[in-house]
Amino acid sequence: MKKSTTAKVLGAAMLTMSLAGAANVYAEDAQYTIGIQQFAEHGSLDNCREGFLEGLKEEGIEEGVNLTIDYKNAAADMGMAGQIADSFAADKVDLMCGIATPSAQSCYNAAMDAGIPVIFTAVTDPVAAELADEEGNPVGEITGTSDKLPVQQQLEMIRTMLPEAKTIGIIYTTSEANSESAIKEYEALAGDYGFEIETTGITATADIPLAAETILGKVDCMTNLTDNTVVASLATILEMANEKNIPVFGSEIEQVKIGCLAAEGLDYIELGKQTGRMAAQVLKGEKKASEIPYETIEEASLYINSAVAENLGIEVPEDLSSAAAETFTEITEYTAE
Amino acid sequence: MLELKDIYKYYNPGTVNELCLFKGFNLTVKEGEFVSVVGSNGSGKTSMLNIICGSIPIESGSILLDGKDITREKEFRRNGKIGRVYQNPALGTCPSMTILENMSLADNKGKTYGLRRGTNKKRIDYYRELLRPLNLGLEDKMYVKVGSLSGGQRQAMALLMSTMTPIEFLILDEHTAALDPKTAEIIMQLTDTLVKEKHLTTIMVTHNLRYAVEYGDRLIMMHQGTSVIDRAGAEKAALGIDDILSKFNEISIECGN
Amino acid sequence: MDFFITILEQGFIYGILALGVYITYKILDFPDLTTDGSFPLGASVTAALISRGMNPYLTLPVALLAGALAGICTGLIHVKGRVRDLLSGIIMMTALWTINLRIAGTSNVPLFSKETIFKNGFLEGLLPEGLLPYRTILVILLLTLVTKLILDFYMSSQSGFLLRAVGDNDKLVTALAKDQGNMKILGLAIANGLVSLAGCIFCQEERVFEISMGTGAVVIGLASVIIGTSLFKNLTFMKATTAVILGSVIYKACTAIAMRSFEPQDMKLITAVLFLIVLLISMDRKKKVKTHA
Repeated sequence: MKKSTTAKVLGAAMLTMSLAGAANVYAEDAQYTIGIQQFAEHGSLDNCREGFLEGLKEEGIEEGVNLTIDYKNAAADMGMAGQIADSFAADKVDLMCGIATPSAQSCYNAAMDAGIPVIFTAVTDPVAAELADEEGNPVGEITGTSDKLPVQQQLEMIRTMLPEAKTIGIIYTTSEANSESAIKEYEALAGDYGFEIETTGITATADIPLAAETILGKVDCMTNLTDNTVVASLATILEMANEKNIPVFGSEIEQVKIGCLAAEGLDYIELGKQTGRMAAQVLKGEKKASEIPYETIEEASLYINSAVAENLGIEVPEDLSSAAAETFTEITEYTAE
Repeated sequence: MLELKDIYKYYNPGTVNELCLFKGFNLTVKEGEFVSVVGSNGSGKTSMLNIICGSIPIESGSILLDGKDITREKEFRRNGKIGRVYQNPALGTCPSMTILENMSLADNKGKTYGLRRGTNKKRIDYYRELLRPLNLGLEDKMYVKVGSLSGGQRQAMALLMSTMTPIEFLILDEHTAALDPKTAEIIMQLTDTLVKEKHLTTIMVTHNLRYAVEYGDRLIMMHQGTSVIDRAGAEKAALGIDDILSKFNEISIECGN
Repeated sequence: MDFFITILEQGFIYGILALGVYITYKILDFPDLTTDGSFPLGASVTAALISRGMNPYLTLPVALLAGALAGICTGLIHVKGRVRDLLSGIIMMTALWTINLRIAGTSNVPLFSKETIFKNGFLEGLLPEGLLPYRTILVILLLTLVTKLILDFYMSSQSGFLLRAVGDNDKLVTALAKDQGNMKILGLAIANGLVSLAGCIFCQEERVFEISMGTGAVVIGLASVIIGTSLFKNLTFMKATTAVILGSVIYKACTAIAMRSFEPQDMKLITAVLFLIVLLISMDRKKKVKTHA
């Protein structure tokens, strides 16, 4: 009895699903279906997705008009990511979009045999993730944008802001590959600007207070990566740093809003838009994904928070304040996502 | 032959609840002897069995089995020569395994448990023959899980299983206490038959004074870690329930009960 | 069709994991959280070996051994160190996080350009053209079946009997003059070996190792075991191992269907509810049996 019910439920689910799939394929006038998989709930990644849709719209592909979006969030679960990607493949979507490295990888894995193009975004190191070859060219029907941090600009900006500083502290999560590669880059470039990098690895949010306490005693300033766990606990770190009067630099606009001194950061909405335009090219058949090398945002934008500078007693140099894309004059209350 | 020499046993040593149970306890059980042990709760009967089997450690003293010192030997190693039946019938069998599987497990005691098949088809008839005299119909339930048997049936199996392979010593820890009077009687008779048949050296702890008097060739009454009665042979045969009861009362008065 | 195959692929891979959890949870009565660490352990070992050019088929026994080793550690902590079962697993799970990172070298190792047990010259030469699209499910099916049969064989051996006895009544094992602690360690070794093997296969199917892939593995395993053993309880001809693997397939089918109608953020809650329902159904039955007896 129970078994037959299960079978019926399963059967019904299959049927509705295959009907839905069929409807997509036979609809008229270049109707597109995109499966978007985002790895986790995260402000920057949400911005990416928003930008992605805007970018597509700019190219005349609009959700609800000629575009159906199947958006799934993997809730930071690798098994779930695989299953979502497989379901996109089974539904025969026209394109998959993977936001963040693990999602991009599982989309590529599922799409490879199904012959579906994949566009990724918010992948820090597409080469290390094997989503691009050593020269940065596509390894298959896959391309996208990288959110590699503008480390050099950031170091330059910190040097200008704090001429006396010697050591920069970074807290990162050992399980995030993006953070690891960013740290490597920081360590490689720090010497050029006369800095030393001090890092401390954590495994979970719970480690942050202790890690922050330890590292704040050893450094002149802190800088953030796009590390999910650390960014989520930024408020804690900022509070502890303020007590010790140590400036904290951010990696994107949102972090500056809530109390980081400044950031040479990425605008994830821009990044998403750029990705959306690439997706439009592929969907319209203008270019194949395999013909487009992955892209990064060329120009980082400088964000400064003058209220934070005032609290810390730091005079923002003239050439920085004039170069800023945006200057915030107040500290926004941190709101958890 | 089993010898307990100068045994010291404390419970909760080093705490305010420290309790000294045995202070220089001695006991010798001769080969082939069937000893019944009675005594009030807390008199040290079960502790004595646990010490013999190595289930609990002792502070000092030595335990010798056939002249060999086994004081430091681990419980599971000692069990190679010892069979034990507990008060709780569930402790002597595996409830989620069938009768056949349980018998096969017990049959292999003392050998290695390797990758050969768990049940030897050729032995099934032999197991049936062992079960038939119990008159419990178990021989027809070879593929039934032991968990669905009654307490008496399980205890009968536990007894069979613990004496299936050659052992030198049988420990019976109030093994009829959880059974109804009729089943207890059956199990007690079965015990007697098995012990006589296999010439097993046996120690039986019981609260049933009648069993203690009727069965076995030696009787020990324990009180506060010492034996207050210890009679063997003809002396034991002359002992009646009333004698033991009066001793019991005497002790109770001493204790102020 | 693709949808079905996806469910079967995932269901069978996690079926091997569920067999491991079945040994600890049902047979040993040991709530073993090592699983969350030994699943990615199999994957990290696999990723490390494959990216160094090892034959992908050889990663299977190596992952099995690595998992067994992790199980032995949990067992030693519990048996020799007298640490409580739940804590022993938590300790090993925590330790394995670092060990996995060290083995893999980094938290994310892609294997897109490498040969796997699903994609290699040998397999392509072996399978007829028409079967190639189904090679993933075929390989998984074969591996799961072989694993199950070997486990069945073991469970009906003398040693397997003793293993079943130790979870059922460890006093009996002692009475049989066997060290029950060693049997527990052996059981944990086999269980975590299987879990690690599942991690090895999963990593090659997804063609990526990701440090977080073990999160929730024990829950999936438990759910599969409970679904399988509860739903097929009355089918006496069906072996528990078969039931557990089917339980895993059903679990994956449920999540796949739920994923279509619910947000993935809600999946954990749905899992929990599904879990609870199956538990309640099976408990209800137990009660009935008791009142009848």
